[in-house]
Amino acid sequence: MSAHLGPTPLRVVGQRVPKVDGVDKATGVAQYTVDVRRPRMLYARLLRSPHAHARIRHMDVSRAQALRGVRAILTYRDVPPVVHAGQPQPRAGSLARDQRILEDRVRFVGDGVAAVAADHPDILEEALALIQVDYEVLPAVFDPFEAMQPAAPSLHGTDRNLVIPPFIVRHGDVEQGFAEADYIFEGRYETSRPMPAYMEPDACVCEFDPSGRLTVWISTQAPFMVRGSLSEVLGIPMSKIRVICEHMGGGFGAKQDLYQYPYLCVLLAQRTGRPVKMEYTREETFVAGRSRHPVVIELRQGVTRDGRLTARQARFVANSGAYASHGPGITRVGTNALASLYKCPHVYIEGLCVYTNAPIAGAFRGYGAPQAYFALESQMDEIAAQLGLDPIELRMRNMFQPGDRGPAGTPFREVMLPACLQRGAELIGWAEKRQRPADPGPIKRGVGVACQLHSATSYPAVKEAAGAVVSINEDGTVQLLIGAADLGTGAKTVMAQIAAETLGVGLDAIRVVSGDTDVTPYDIGAYASRTTFIAGGAVQRAAEDAKRQLLDLAAQELHAEPADLHVTDGVVASRSDPGRRIAVKDLVASPGGRSARTIVGRGTFAPRNDYSFAAQFAEVAVDTETGQVEVLQMVAVHDVGRVINPTTAEGQVEGALHQGIGYALMEDLVVDGVSGKALNANFADYKMLTALDMPKIYVELLESVDDLGPFGAKGLAEDGVCPTAAAIANAIYHATGARVRQLPIAPDRLLELIP
Amino acid sequence: MKRPVTLTINGERQEVAVEPWWTLLDVLREELGLTGAKKGCDRGDCGACTVLLDGKPVTSCMVLAVQADGRQVVTVEGLAAPGHLHPVQRAFVDYGAVQCGFCTPGMIMAAVALLNETPHPTEAEVRAALTGNLCRCTGYAKIVQAVMAAAQHGGAA
Ligand code: FES
Ligand code: FES
Repeated sequence: MSAHLGPTPLRVVGQRVPKVDGVDKATGVAQYTVDVRRPRMLYARLLRSPHAHARIRHMDVSRAQALRGVRAILTYRDVPPVVHAGQPQPRAGSLARDQRILEDRVRFVGDGVAAVAADHPDILEEALALIQVDYEVLPAVFDPFEAMQPAAPSLHGTDRNLVIPPFIVRHGDVEQGFAEADYIFEGRYETSRPMPAYMEPDACVCEFDPSGRLTVWISTQAPFMVRGSLSEVLGIPMSKIRVICEHMGGGFGAKQDLYQYPYLCVLLAQRTGRPVKMEYTREETFVAGRSRHPVVIELRQGVTRDGRLTARQARFVANSGAYASHGPGITRVGTNALASLYKCPHVYIEGLCVYTNAPIAGAFRGYGAPQAYFALESQMDEIAAQLGLDPIELRMRNMFQPGDRGPAGTPFREVMLPACLQRGAELIGWAEKRQRPADPGPIKRGVGVACQLHSATSYPAVKEAAGAVVSINEDGTVQLLIGAADLGTGAKTVMAQIAAETLGVGLDAIRVVSGDTDVTPYDIGAYASRTTFIAGGAVQRAAEDAKRQLLDLAAQELHAEPADLHVTDGVVASRSDPGRRIAVKDLVASPGGRSARTIVGRGTFAPRNDYSFAAQFAEVAVDTETGQVEVLQMVAVHDVGRVINPTTAEGQVEGALHQGIGYALMEDLVVDGVSGKALNANFADYKMLTALDMPKIYVELLESVDDLGPFGAKGLAEDGVCPTAAAIANAIYHATGARVRQLPIAPDRLLELIP
Repeated sequence: MKRPVTLTINGERQEVAVEPWWTLLDVLREELGLTGAKKGCDRGDCGACTVLLDGKPVTSCMVLAVQADGRQVVTVEGLAAPGHLHPVQRAFVDYGAVQCGFCTPGMIMAAVALLNETPHPTEAEVRAALTGNLCRCTGYAKIVQAVMAAAQHGGAA
């Protein structure tokens, strides 16, 4: 870790402070949505379609209705027929409105067809089994290329089953670029369908009070988005909806989508007049959750003899599954990522997002970038091998410069990739390991590298904004209200550090309140890698605002100039005359009997974006007789601007590496190509790395000077997963000469390719 | 038909009427309001529901409440006196082993069980003891560190 930056020494920012809610979580008292229990609460569950594509001719719920303890059943006839978006970011540029709460048509195995509320969860399964549905089964399609054919069944009546019109990134003239090339490289890369597999299943509890006010406890990354969508679709004013999510057991992107279940849960609560809880089974989180998009990338690049890229042409074809969800967004981000990372004068990339009858793909850490970088970074490795260049050297020859345009259209303020590459190479012993003679036995070792750059926010697709309020209590302690939810990343802790640093009070003095739409200012949601950057910026501004008010007050009391005052450890003192001092608490509530002053600082931050960079190195050992890959170590060097809390920041990368190694080697929700059923929708069959499987990982955070975010912080949460699969694939190539262009790199697939 | 079972939970004897098919996890969470143990899968795959049954770690979603009749159960809520932390809990907080925290109660119980048996485990033993507990947030790095640190500070306390 480099020394901290800037002139003023920092007290709280940059420290490894423990999480503000760590004790609550470690003692089991933290209340998650699944722990919420209300008096007279009912339990609800969805009946799901066994068919990948069907029309419902008729439904008979009478037998289920007659079952003792069943309180309400909803079918498509009982719900408002409002067409809405699964990714309802109210300020997003493009929304695909293609969902209904329920309808007489199902488009994937697992699509909801009815919802039942009953006195006890024990009754639900039987009740669901008693609902009779007469399906007219329709032809289904699971492959996006087949789905684009004229004869394919149409899911939503769009041209070629496209979710949005093709998204095109073009600069220069690719024909000219290819004409200038000495070599042309071409490859087809195919990615898998990994699941976020957050440990807390999706869940909500909905309750109306007698005056018609609705409270929704829900495991969500975006409480205000939930409020907005429920309001829009169900016609309830926002002032009558309170959405609460204090603690959540992970989301990784997927829990910023509105599934069918919260709408149904609200309607069941409305119909029964009782609180209703809906909690997914683990199987439901797999089949009816949101996966990362499986993508096929056809990538073609031209390069000169000395390793300069001249042209890049690609098609990014994402399988959206049955509904759009975040398809439009990830197609945009993935296509932009594919156009970026290295300088190339002539680029033409087409991004397609296609409906199929597969389970729904949505937002999952990386948001299109892991797929794009798997293809791009694999091909860079192929080019280096062919030209006889060191993979790092090839990348250096095509590096962006500050001022060049980044993938989101805004220019790079700095380019930290060379520093990340250099440091990572040192840490893993790159030069030596690349030269190492091939291992003699069947087990072959190799090292590989891949890079990424990522935007912290969704600007310009989404009009980013976050708000914070800082309110000083009469005893000098502080309430910090933030709209952002804490998925478990440590956002609350980081926000408290930023506020404590700015205000000049101790961390213990700050109470962070988040995840309650009745209490906190608006925040669009915790997604991308935005919370530290944007919500942190809002917190910093709110704290500065409060501090300004404090200093003004103190200036009056102490007969000093505000500019001469500073706040340290809850005391305002004069710099020129340190004897002149007053405690913050005495400013707010004077002991002299004057009534307490109200000090409330407000902050909003609506920046564009900033880019963070990373280079990851993998060392693997491949058993060339079985195709088994063991990752021996991962080195991840990330540039994140200022590190607010090294512990939580490292934790983000460590967790992302877990998901990235899984993405490379094993994670894939397998969907049967005939029935459309998910074949491994449980933790026994959907393989993730355990504590024993995780290799040695080494995370290093490089701090760069950047003043856009709070104290110079940038985004980090998504970055760690973006280059991992390519780094591993490239290490496998170095070890064995086998180039795997398809994820996951399973032993049978690899064995076929080992020369 | 419900029938009564007697459980000693975190040192307190409790009588509960349970259906024969109810799991220990559901009884802890739904009947007794002890929501520390989490339901991540309900089929023995994730370890989020780990508690100690007569001192041994079990996935409580795979134990019927009637099987626990007359036995001792320790949940994460009962590891330390109110206002105090067990050394393993302390280490989890201090070393950043808690992210979303949903796996944490189960993880902590598995770690406590390990340290009770093996007060000074190797890193490999820690990793092996935690294989039944999935975590999606941390990559296990800081969890393993925390358990090793707790062992050093006498985590079997
Ligand atoms: S809930 Fe018991 S093992 Fe997952
Ligand atoms: S901390 Fe989130 S699952 Fe382990």
